[in-house]
Amino acid sequence: MDPTTAGLIGIAVFFLLIAMEMPIAYAMGLVGFVGFSILNDPAAAFAVVSKDLFSTFSNYSLSVIPMFIWMGFLAFYAGIGTRLYNFAYKMVGHLPGGLAIATQATCALFGAVCGSNTATAATIGAIALPEMRRYEYNSSLSTASVAAGGALGVLIPPSVIFIVYGISAEQSIGKLFLAGIVPGFLLMFLYMLAIYIVTSRNPKLGPAGPRATWSERFKALGGGLFEIIVIFAISLGGLFAGWFTPTEAGAVGVAGVVLVTLVQKKLNMDIIRKSLSDTTRTTAMIMLLVASAVIFGRFIAISRIPFAMAEWAASLQLPAFVVIAIILLIYLVLGCFIDALALILLTIPIFLPVAVSVLGYDPIWFGVIIVMVVAMGVITPPVGMNVYIVKGVADNVPLETIFKGIWPFLFAIIACLALLIAFPQLATFLPSLLN
Amino acid sequence: MQIFETLVVKISRGLDFLAGLILAATALLVVTNILGRTLINHSILGTYEMVGFLTAAVVGLAMARCAVEKGHITVTFILERFSPIVQRVVEIIVGIPAFFFFLFASYHLFLYGRLMAISGEVAPTTQLIFYPFVYLVAIGFVVLALTVLLQVIKLIIGGER
Repeated sequence: MDPTTAGLIGIAVFFLLIAMEMPIAYAMGLVGFVGFSILNDPAAAFAVVSKDLFSTFSNYSLSVIPMFIWMGFLAFYAGIGTRLYNFAYKMVGHLPGGLAIATQATCALFGAVCGSNTATAATIGAIALPEMRRYEYNSSLSTASVAAGGALGVLIPPSVIFIVYGISAEQSIGKLFLAGIVPGFLLMFLYMLAIYIVTSRNPKLGPAGPRATWSERFKALGGGLFEIIVIFAISLGGLFAGWFTPTEAGAVGVAGVVLVTLVQKKLNMDIIRKSLSDTTRTTAMIMLLVASAVIFGRFIAISRIPFAMAEWAASLQLPAFVVIAIILLIYLVLGCFIDALALILLTIPIFLPVAVSVLGYDPIWFGVIIVMVVAMGVITPPVGMNVYIVKGVADNVPLETIFKGIWPFLFAIIACLALLIAFPQLATFLPSLLN
Repeated sequence: MQIFETLVVKISRGLDFLAGLILAATALLVVTNILGRTLINHSILGTYEMVGFLTAAVVGLAMARCAVEKGHITVTFILERFSPIVQRVVEIIVGIPAFFFFLFASYHLFLYGRLMAISGEVAPTTQLIFYPFVYLVAIGFVVLALTVLLQVIKLIIGGER
């Protein structure tokens, strides 16, 4: 069989299997193995699979994943989310839509520490939604603001998706982290602007809360919050300065959070046990996905699909931005159905050579754009993971009501993407300083 | 069946607990290495290698419990539209190849580890043997395969999805 045809059949079988509820990691590994066996040799395929599985799991670069995840879960169980929200609420709660605006700031900061879309949406949702209900916020605006804000953490470092993209695309994780900072905060401000515009036009959607005094605001920084922010800055600052490897930065973050929460008497054996348990489960999920994607990637590589795609893209004679727009559209559509992490692992071997080698785009910039597009997937129907999480927290709000409130946030993401395409320096400037 | 289920769930939880301990030890090793390097200008030889091997052990030992708790990412909204019987049949159909894939993967990981043991392969920096870590990952895949098998059997005999 022609390798490219075998590759296309393999991709079709993969989609069929995931539609049949086979976990994505299993489907990638299985299709990759069978495809490699057909195009090469079953004995060689098994040798490659066992070697790939162990070498991926024992890859030092990937050991960063459990470290940052553990740091996030420790912060989560130690109640950092509540303290962050309290601080943001005291700062901007008095503005029209102020609580929803405070939610964005909290999501950005907590998402950055935590690194997980769903954990951020669940935590901040549980804290912010009752407050917004108390101040009679429109349920569509309040729930959608939590769902959208929950995705901010994928752009602001440390982001597990950037780590996985960096390893798949063989790019510096430190540079990717730096590249995500400006777009992440830009998106946060655009979300805030969208809330401000919507609530200014119709103040009933988000009535202003009481104004806090400056002493109340400074007081809200207490309870270990300030120390956590400092630890976070040391961990990431050390990484950017070249003092630590990404794994070491994660371990420093873990040690710092343990130390602060211990001094604050917020740490106990139960929190350590729960955070470790959640970390090992999440790590196993991600790492099996990454290892399966390596196996699947081998199959895709020998099927010559990336070369065929690159040749096809070159033969189109279209301006580069049109081709990149088509690729982004594909990501946008797939992102509505497939988890962001899995989608990136699945498609990087196919689209990265086209974007970088054929079209000449910066792989760091491409990573930021792709992460932003797949982040849209967590708030768009039918999968919209964050919307389902928020629905779980706000039981009495129908899914349709949440999706209805998503529109201003989708426009904000599109505006952010347009700015990134028009001004790539927004993503590439900070990483260029590392050179 | 009940005994098999209890056994698989208990083993997966036990392995996951071990994975948690190894993860904590790994973080401690990394931090100790940084402190040693910064304070007394003395690094722990082979930290990078050990962190890699320990992470492999963490992942290998935690995979099965992740599967027991349905933690691996799945696209559910398509199959949800079908009747419960169709859902069960489809899940049995996809479960069987997954079981055999993980079983074969674990078998070949054992072979890979054995080959390392026979050839005397050691880590480049510390010169330590590391095939036991390969065996740990292989054990993780055996339990993962058993977890998938348990889920298939439960679907066949009419248990919950």
